[in-house]
Amino acid sequence: MATPEELNQLTADKKVDARGTPCPGPLLEAKRAITSVPMGGVMEVLSADESTNKDIPRWANKIGHEYLGTIEEPGYWRIFVKRGK
Amino acid sequence: MAKKMVVFCGSDEPQKAFPPFMLGVGAQAMDMELMMFFTMNGLNIIRKGGAEKIKLEGAPKTLLEFIDIVREGGAELVACSAAFSIVGCKEEDLIEGVECGGVATFVDEAEGADIVLTFC
Repeated sequence: MATPEELNQLTADKKVDARGTPCPGPLLEAKRAITSVPMGGVMEVLSADESTNKDIPRWANKIGHEYLGTIEEPGYWRIFVKRGK
Repeated sequence: MAKKMVVFCGSDEPQKAFPPFMLGVGAQAMDMELMMFFTMNGLNIIRKGGAEKIKLEGAPKTLLEFIDIVREGGAELVACSAAFSIVGCKEEDLIEGVECGGVATFVDEAEGADIVLTFC
């Protein structure tokens, strides 16, 4: 998994701001958005829902994407996923 | 073969009507197939004009939006014909695209499913 410093240096191919929506909204938005990320590209999901931090890695692992890590910001999280499928 | 989740939707109370869809979209996100079986007052969810009346503050989507999302994801929505006479419902009262099934349909689907959830 990448360190917060490494994650900060990533340029996401797609950024999804799902901070206005509770679970399972961010997961739904991530699922929809990853299809527009090129294979091997990076998606960044912004979520204010804490359980999304656990859901996105599980989803990525199940589907065949790579969970790269999470950066915690005041009141929300930046979750990074690399498209693998 | 994809794994399958079957959800028994037996209530139109918002706190029991929304979770089948919240978990259902989650199952679809995790690459599972989804079958939802509506019976008793749960039939009101798939009655024409029914979902609009069932509201849950704080939910990420309306019930109607959830129905559209699970259907876009290929969910089968099945109405339990055994409950029709009990709750006063006819096949033509239901939204388009819903199939009717009897108790054997549910049992057969549940037997072959990897996850079965019940909300009633």
